[in-house]
Amino acid sequence: MSDTLADGVGLHVIEQFVDAEQQRHAGQLGMWAWLVTELLLFAGLFLVATVLRVQYPESVHLAVSHLKFWIGATNTGVLIVSSLTMSGAIQASRLGLQRLTVYCMYATAALGTLFILLKLYEWYDDIVEHMAPWLNQPYELAFDKPSTLFTNLYWVTTGLHGLHLTTGVTILMVLALQARAEGYLSRHQNRIEVFGLYWHFIDLIWIIVFPMLYVIGR
Amino acid sequence: MTYAAQRDAHVPHATIDAPKDYLHITHTVKSWLLSTDHKRIGILYLISITGFFFIGAVAAGLLRLSLVVPDGSIFTNDTYNKLFTIHGVVMVWFFLIPSIPATFGNFLLPIMIGAKDLAFPRLNTTSWYVFMTGALFAMLSVLFGGIDTGWTFYAPLSTAFSNTYVSLALVGVIIVGFSSILTGLNFIVTVHTMRAPGMTWFRMPIFVWTMYAVSMIFLLATPVITMALILLVMERTFKIGVFDPALGGDPVLFEHLFWFYSHPAVYIMVLPGMGVISEIVPAFARKRLFGYKFVAYASIGLATITFFVWGHHMFVNGQSDYASVTFSFLSFAVAVPSAVKVYNWTATIHKGTLVLDTPMLYAMGYIGLFVIGGLTGLFLATLAIDEHVHDTYFVVAHFHYIMVGGTVLAFLGGLHYWWPKFTGRMYNEAWGRVSAVLMFIGFNVTFFPQFILGYLGMPRRYHVYPAEFQLMNIMSSAGATILAFAYVFPFVYLLYSLWFGKKAPDNPWDAKGLEWMTTSPPPLHNFIKPPVVDFEAYDYEAKVPEA
Ligand code: HEM
Ligand SMILES: [Cu+2]
Repeated sequence: MSDTLADGVGLHVIEQFVDAEQQRHAGQLGMWAWLVTELLLFAGLFLVATVLRVQYPESVHLAVSHLKFWIGATNTGVLIVSSLTMSGAIQASRLGLQRLTVYCMYATAALGTLFILLKLYEWYDDIVEHMAPWLNQPYELAFDKPSTLFTNLYWVTTGLHGLHLTTGVTILMVLALQARAEGYLSRHQNRIEVFGLYWHFIDLIWIIVFPMLYVIGR
Repeated sequence: MTYAAQRDAHVPHATIDAPKDYLHITHTVKSWLLSTDHKRIGILYLISITGFFFIGAVAAGLLRLSLVVPDGSIFTNDTYNKLFTIHGVVMVWFFLIPSIPATFGNFLLPIMIGAKDLAFPRLNTTSWYVFMTGALFAMLSVLFGGIDTGWTFYAPLSTAFSNTYVSLALVGVIIVGFSSILTGLNFIVTVHTMRAPGMTWFRMPIFVWTMYAVSMIFLLATPVITMALILLVMERTFKIGVFDPALGGDPVLFEHLFWFYSHPAVYIMVLPGMGVISEIVPAFARKRLFGYKFVAYASIGLATITFFVWGHHMFVNGQSDYASVTFSFLSFAVAVPSAVKVYNWTATIHKGTLVLDTPMLYAMGYIGLFVIGGLTGLFLATLAIDEHVHDTYFVVAHFHYIMVGGTVLAFLGGLHYWWPKFTGRMYNEAWGRVSAVLMFIGFNVTFFPQFILGYLGMPRRYHVYPAEFQLMNIMSSAGATILAFAYVFPFVYLLYSLWFGKKAPDNPWDAKGLEWMTTSPPPLHNFIKPPVVDFEAYDYEAKVPEA
């Protein structure tokens, strides 16, 4: 890490590592490796979306125009702000400002929750409007069969992203509660750095998902 | 002890301060099941995959039994379909893929680079539990009556037609994928961050390089099949229509996603074997590995090119000619790094002082069979020939030569080579040699006829065939019987050695590498004293320096 840490900020070295530097590096590299895997997981969905867009442009257009663009757009904004507060938490933790770190983490978790609530409302609306072909109910665009594929893909993709975000908020809340403990930053500051990578990643995935589902071909 | 003294086989170990080895620190079952020691986890994996190997082998035996008669009267068609599916699924996902990385890799990688453990020991324990959970699902699907799609799970057969427990098996395979990913992640971080002082990248044994390359494939390819299989399950459950043409989906898309993982997966299965062979050959030829850097780069080369050849499984499914020609060309390119390795092993053997102990016999068998498997791969990559032999026994023989003749022989070679290190015991050398030779013979009798059968047009996955093919099928089944003995022997004499074998010295083969500089079996954190590396890999010709 090129970023310097304030005095008294660092980590408690566990037995398999030689020193703090090694442990810090290992933790972060581990998260990066995990994120590469996650990216390829989502890549499968991106590929399917591309194939559908090439094969059935008309139907995709039809399905896209039934998605709730403004909720999606608002949520994009919400996540971008949450990445900002997460960066705030990381920076504060490096400087040893424990109170500020915890507050920034709370704010991030709150924004994440806001995203999830908006998303739930959106899904609810989709169901009410008969835009859930995988449910046992009539489907709004039943006259256009291929549009079903795209609408289902929308559910799978946003569902998987929602799952990641829910996991993220849960971990974040646990971390934030732990981070209130005396001397936390001198023992576990790296956890906040590592978690931050994950949080930014969920944000980044949404930034790909949003245009892929809601914007292109609207 | 200085490290120079540590390296000298003639200097006895300082036994006074030697801690207990990893097997004898604690004895309870719990201490094994909750262990975070990479060595114990390697052993847990070894026990589990041995179990799966025997399950897969029983299915194979029944398949060969059925094929003794041409009229398919021994089993019903449904049963036969289920047998080859169980065989393929268990062997590929529950034996071959985890085989060398999760056992030898877990046990040896930290030792070979002079680390105390992997970077994330608890994650490592978790990966074993994830593996066993996935296995549980797959085994349940077998107990409930089996699945009949083949190990390839092609849609729409798997999504719209099969009424067996496909989803359950798919969930099992998806879960197992995560255990591979966790292992790969652990290896990559460990190799990057935990090498001992002096252990530069180009001083790492080739085995570590291949583990690194395999981990890359785990991280980059496994998630793609995870997603493809998740979509399959969704399609079976909710009819979401990604792959089923009746719903507007595209079945070829599944083949793309499947082979984008599964061709790299064949290198997950074969690269570790290459790593093992690269350790055994120099040790028993008493020479440096020829062209060390080329072999290291070839491992990375294979792991890269392997991502761009998946279309050679789809030559006859209607993909465009341009695609076919490109994939054909790239498949030829993949053979180059493979050949580099074979030449380097051969050159290492050339003018070496050969010691034909059991591990070396397995290694030589490996080289021979891998060459045949690889060359027939080139036949298959040739468009005109593949039109003729696609989906015949020729393909079956090709991949068995590589996966069984190659990987399983390498696995057993490695098991014998490192057995003294793992267990602290020596096995019976005579039985070892007999089994190794028997395996080579049994293997060829089983699978060589299949090349001919396939060339003559016998399709795979059918058990009713024209009477004129019976003779060669009987040969193949007879060979399988020999092979069965060749697998049971090591199982018996290795187990026997655990209680009655001679105590193993620290370095029974006089081999080089950090794993031979610690005790057999190693202590909890692998080394009595953290090693400092001031020597190259495989320095067999080096003089022992003065202490
Ligand atoms: C030297 C490089 C190799 C080349 C050029 C090659 C080429 C091919 C080709 C063209 C096919 C498709 C044949 C067909 O379906 O008509 C094939 C099938 C196969 N190969 Fe290879 N191969 C190579 C190495 C390997 C290795 C190293 C493994 C495994 C460790 C392997 C395992 C398989 C398997 C499992 C199949 C059949 C899959 C199935 O349809 O179930 N191959 N190979
Ligand atoms: Cu392939």
